[in-house]
Amino acid sequence: MKVKVRLSRRNFMKTVAAMGASAFLASYKSDLVKALSEVKDYWHICWLNGAACTGCTVSFAQVAEPDLIQVLTEITVGNSGLPIALPDYMETIHPASGTLAESLKERWAEGQQGKRIMVVEGSVQDPGWCVVAGKDFRDHVKEAAETADVIVAVGQCATYGGIPAARPNPTNARSLKQYLTEIGINKPVVNLPLCPVNGEHVLLTLAAVMIDAPLDLDEYGRPKAFFGTNMHDELCPYRPYYDRGIFITVPGEGEGCRYKIGCKGPVTNTDCASRKWVNHTSYCVESGAPCIGCSEPGWPDKFSPFYVEIGEVPTLLGVDPTTLGQGLLGATAAGVVVHGVKRAATKGKKEENEENKEV
Amino acid sequence: MAKVVMDPITRIEGHLKVEMSTKDVETSTGTWQVVDEAWSSGTLFRGWESILRGRDPRDAWYLTQRICGVCPAPHAEASIQAIEAAFSVEPTPVATLIRNIIHGAYYIYDHMIHTYLLIGPELGVLAKYPPMVPPALGKDGIAKLGLGSSYAKCVEMQRKANEIVAMWGGKFPHHASEYPGGMSVKPTLDRIAATITNMAEIWPFIAETMVSDLLALVGANETIGEAVSTLLDVPFRGLQDLGVCTGNFLSYGSHPDPENYADWLAIYDGPGRRSSALTHAGAWDGDFKDFNLNKIVEYVKYSKYDNQSGLTPDNETAPVPNQNKEGAYSWLKAPRYDGKVYEVGPLARMINTYGLTWKVPRVNPMTGEDLGEFKYTVLNPKGSVVDRVAARVAFALICANKMFEWATDLKGYLGQKVTNYREIPQTGEGFGLYDAPRGGLLHYLNIKNKVIDNYQCVVPSTWNLGPRDDMGRPGPVETALQGTWLPKDLDVPTIASAVWPAEDIDLSPLGINSTVKWGDALATALTPLGLAKLNMEPSEGSTYNTSLAITVVRSYDPCIACAVHLIDRR
Repeated sequence: MKVKVRLSRRNFMKTVAAMGASAFLASYKSDLVKALSEVKDYWHICWLNGAACTGCTVSFAQVAEPDLIQVLTEITVGNSGLPIALPDYMETIHPASGTLAESLKERWAEGQQGKRIMVVEGSVQDPGWCVVAGKDFRDHVKEAAETADVIVAVGQCATYGGIPAARPNPTNARSLKQYLTEIGINKPVVNLPLCPVNGEHVLLTLAAVMIDAPLDLDEYGRPKAFFGTNMHDELCPYRPYYDRGIFITVPGEGEGCRYKIGCKGPVTNTDCASRKWVNHTSYCVESGAPCIGCSEPGWPDKFSPFYVEIGEVPTLLGVDPTTLGQGLLGATAAGVVVHGVKRAATKGKKEENEENKEV
Repeated sequence: MAKVVMDPITRIEGHLKVEMSTKDVETSTGTWQVVDEAWSSGTLFRGWESILRGRDPRDAWYLTQRICGVCPAPHAEASIQAIEAAFSVEPTPVATLIRNIIHGAYYIYDHMIHTYLLIGPELGVLAKYPPMVPPALGKDGIAKLGLGSSYAKCVEMQRKANEIVAMWGGKFPHHASEYPGGMSVKPTLDRIAATITNMAEIWPFIAETMVSDLLALVGANETIGEAVSTLLDVPFRGLQDLGVCTGNFLSYGSHPDPENYADWLAIYDGPGRRSSALTHAGAWDGDFKDFNLNKIVEYVKYSKYDNQSGLTPDNETAPVPNQNKEGAYSWLKAPRYDGKVYEVGPLARMINTYGLTWKVPRVNPMTGEDLGEFKYTVLNPKGSVVDRVAARVAFALICANKMFEWATDLKGYLGQKVTNYREIPQTGEGFGLYDAPRGGLLHYLNIKNKVIDNYQCVVPSTWNLGPRDDMGRPGPVETALQGTWLPKDLDVPTIASAVWPAEDIDLSPLGINSTVKWGDALATALTPLGLAKLNMEPSEGSTYNTSLAITVVRSYDPCIACAVHLIDRR
C-alpha cells in the first residue's frame, strides 16, 4: 500500500507535482524532510483546543522520522535559523501562558498572508461550555478561521463531533465544519478523523500544505490517501479468516477474524492496518480488539455497542438506522449488504481476485 | 491588594484558569508581593456521565479513557475494574500482568513528559540548568550548549515507551485491548522481546539522565534558596518551600500482584493497604494509615451544582448544573477524605508506599552494571514542588526496573487462558480504584437492565484542583499557592540573573563573542521567539511574574479534561 518516494532533493518538488498528492501523502521519513527543506517561507501555525481530551496533541507527539523535535529544531527555513513550523500558539506545549500566550494568537494572525494554518482539536459546543482567557472558544475559532489560509480539523471530535456530540449531546457539541457553516464561514476544512488523530496524518498533511501538494478529499472532507481504503476489504491481514468462517468469539481466546466480537472494519475507511500507530508499531485489530470505526462520521453512536456485531448494532441504542443516517448510515448499511453478498459468492470470485493481484 | 490571573495555564492538559489575590510583605529589603488567596477553576464541561447512560457497560472503558488523551490508560484501568466488579468476574493472572506492562510503560511516558515538557522549562530556568530548558536554539543549541538536550531526548524516549503500550494495546493514546475478565491481546514471544528491546533504550535515559537531572536540580536548590531568601529577607530554603500543602496524602495503589488479586480486591470490603501491589493504598497523615473507601465524600457548596453535598460517590446522582448558584465559583466538586484536605499524586503514592525516604536500585537489567542506589529523602513532609518532581523520577525508575521483570514473568504464562468470559449481568454495581500518574482515580458503575444506569468518576485533578469545601477550606492547589512570591515588575531574565549573578555563560559556540549572565543568555533566546514577557501578567498598572506560581500549579500535573464537572467561573 505504501508508495515510497526516493528522489534527489533537486527533483523532488517537480516529481511530487507530477505524481499528485497521494504518493506524497503515503510517503514519510527522509522524503518528508527533503520536501520540507524545499519550503522557502516560514509557516504560522495556531493549534486550538476546544472540547478535546488533548489525545490528538499527544498522538502528534508520537510521530517518528522525522520526530517532532526534528521538525521543530532541524528543518529550518533558508538562513533564518527559525524552525519551519514552530507553532505560534499551542496550549499543550507552548512556553508561554496567560496574556502572552493569547498575544501570540495575534502574532499568528499578523503572519504572512497565505501561510497561516489553523489546526483545531476538539468539538465546538454551545456558548459557555468552553472558555479560554475569558473568551468563548467559539469566538477564538471564529476569529482564527476568518484569518486562516488553511484549516485542518484533527481527531474525531473536531471532524465529526466525537464523544462530546454522542447521545444525548449534553453541550450540543458539533464538528468544526458544521460550526463554521453555521456562522457563514465557507472555507474548506481538511478533516483528519480517528480517535485520536494519527500523528503521521497531521505531519503529512501539514507538509503537503507547505509544499503545495494538492489534497484530494472525499465527501466527508478526509484526504483520500489516508481514508480511501476499506479496512476490511482492502487492508485487513485477518481477512482470510473471515473468508473461511474462522472467528474469535471471546476477546483474548483463539485466533480468527474479529467480526463476531464487533469489528466495524467492514464499514470503516482508514489506513490503520497499513500505516499503524506510534512509529508503525500496531493498531487496534492487531491487539486482538475489534475496530470501533472511529474514522467515520456518526461515531460513536452509529458504531456502538462496540462488541456487538454490525448487523445488530443500532437497535441496541434505541436508534433507528433508517431515519438517522445523514448519508453515512445508508451507505454503511448498503456496504454491509454488498459485503454479505460478496462473502456469499465465496470461492470462485476470491480466486479470481487473487489471480488478478498476481498479474 | 491586586488580582493576578493566569488564563490559560498552558503545558497542562485542558483548560485551567487560576486567580490569585496578592498581599504585601514588608521586610528589611523592601515590600514584596505574595499570594494571599487563590481560586482554581477549569473552563471546559462536556458531560461525560450523561453520555455514558443507557450504553452497553462493556463500552464504558472505551468511552471513559477518552475523557483524557494524556492519561487515557488509567481511566481504562479504573473503568475495566469497575466493570469487572459489576460483572462479578476477576481478570486472569496473565491479563493482570499484561495490564501491568501497559501501565508501566504508560507511567514512564507520563512522568517523563511532565518532568521535561510540562514543568521542566521553568525548573531549568530557575536552576540554571540548560538540559531542561526547551531547545530554543535548535540543533546547534543542543550540540554546542546542551540547551534542551534532555528535553529533546525525552521526546524520543516517551515515544519508545508508548511503542510498548501500542505493542500490547494496539495504539496510544486510547489503547484497544482491554476486555472485562481479561484482555483481547495475547502474550507472544515477539511482543515480550520487543518490550525488552525498547526498555533497553529507555532504562538508561531514566536511570542516568533523569536521575542526574533531578540531582542537578536538587544541587542548585540551595543556591536558589539562599538567593531568594537574601533578596526578600524571608525564610526560603528553596523549592521545598514552594507549593507546600497539608501533608495529608491519599493513594489507591497501582500494579496489582497477578497471583494475589484477592488482596487487590479486599479494599472494596474494608479498610486496607493493597500491600501486595507495586504501590500501596493509604491515607498518610504523618504516618501510614489504612485506606477506607467509605471516607470519600464530595462537597458542592462552592460548586455550581444543586446536588446534595457530602455524599459518597455511589450515592451521587447525575449532576444538576446551576450557573447562578449563589456563592459557588467552580464546576469542580471538592472531594475530601475523612473530612480533611488530602493531596493525591506521585508524592502521595511514594509516601504511602515507602514513607519519607526512598531507595531505588539502579542495576542495569541488560548489562548488570550497578550505577549505585538512587536515594531520596522528602525535603518537605507537607509536600512541595521539588518533592513532587522527585517522586515522578523515582517512580519512573521503579517502573523501568519492573518492566524487565514483568516481561520476563510473562514468558511463564504463554498459551494460558487470557480472558474469564462473563455475559452482561441484568444488574450489578462496582468500584474501580487505581492510582493514575496524577493520583487516585475512582470509577463507579451501576448496571440496570444490562445497560449503564449510573456512572461516576472522582479523578485526581478534582482532588488537587478542586474548590473550597462546605467548611470553607481551600483545595490542595489553592492551599499550595498561598504565600508564593509574585515578583512585581521583575521579568524572568532579571530574576534569573539575580539568582545566578555570575557572568559565566559563554556564547562563543554560537558565534557570539561574549560571556554573559544566565538571565542575559535567556533573554537572547527568548526575545527572538517573542517570549520576552514570559509569565508576566498585568494587574493594576504593574506586571506580576507568575513563574513560581505557575510552577506550583504545574507541580500537580493538572489534567482538566479529567476533572469533568467544571466550567468557567463567571
